[in-house]
Amino acid sequence: MEELASELLKELNCDTAFSIKLPAGLPLIGGVQLDIAESVVITWVVMAVILILSIILTSNLKVHNVSRRQLVAETIVTKLEGIVTGMIGEEGKRYVPYLVSVLLYLGISNIIGLFGMKPPTKDLNVTAALALMSIVLVEAAGIRKKGVGGWIKSFTEPIAIVTPINILEVFIKPLSLCMRLFGNVLGAFVIMELLKLLVPVALPVPFSFYFDIFDGLIQAYVFVFLTSMYIKEAIE
Amino acid sequence: MIAIGAGIAALACIGAGIGIGIATSKAAEAVARQPEAESKITKILLLGGALAEATAIYGFVIGILIILFMA
Repeated sequence: MEELASELLKELNCDTAFSIKLPAGLPLIGGVQLDIAESVVITWVVMAVILILSIILTSNLKVHNVSRRQLVAETIVTKLEGIVTGMIGEEGKRYVPYLVSVLLYLGISNIIGLFGMKPPTKDLNVTAALALMSIVLVEAAGIRKKGVGGWIKSFTEPIAIVTPINILEVFIKPLSLCMRLFGNVLGAFVIMELLKLLVPVALPVPFSFYFDIFDGLIQAYVFVFLTSMYIKEAIE
Repeated sequence: MIAIGAGIAALACIGAGIGIGIATSKAAEAVARQPEAESKITKILLLGGALAEATAIYGFVIGILIILFMA
């Protein structure tokens, strides 16, 4: 049991990749040590992958006589936009690019475990930040659509007595988004690591298909789906 | 004792399993009845699955907390 607990603690721990010491001459922040977490570094890797793919796919675009590469890029963009537009509806079209970016980021970071890296969504701070961004977007969409007065008034709908529940919902929504993503990814990660510890040969392969690929993509989809549903609810 | 507690926390998976099972069987029925509504049904199924699964995640989190803070 002790062994298992220490093993679990090791998996739960978010390592520091490296730390930067700011030069002592700076005002206010001089001499502060910045710890860069591993999840941040892997997020940079994910960003680099998306950036390089985008640059390769979108360079030299033409209207006529398109290349095969451009066709691939167009298919990917149209498919992803179609998926998200189907979830959020025509009214929320302006939020589609953000949601597609989140979908891409989550999709890549959840399956990055296949390449031997720790998924950044295993870090609670990453999912908390994403959930905060989502709830800010949801409330901002509501304010944009209804105005500040209408937004405040929407808390008393459908009847005045549910106002506390509606206010509570503002905090529960990001909490559940954050915990769902974190719990799923961490659970899959811990199970995979324990499995690799017990049976290092052959057995992890089918489990890896489920936990690393299927579950990761489903969770990315669910996160974006719930966010777009909340936005849809806020702007209707 | 700690192992038993963590095992009991893992019982939360039963609820999620039953819930997802029911949701999937109903979705299969619905698609069989109305194949043209498949995309909508898939969406609702995924949402229901995600919500039902949350209970299992809570069980998992509690199990981990028990192992970490009791051991």
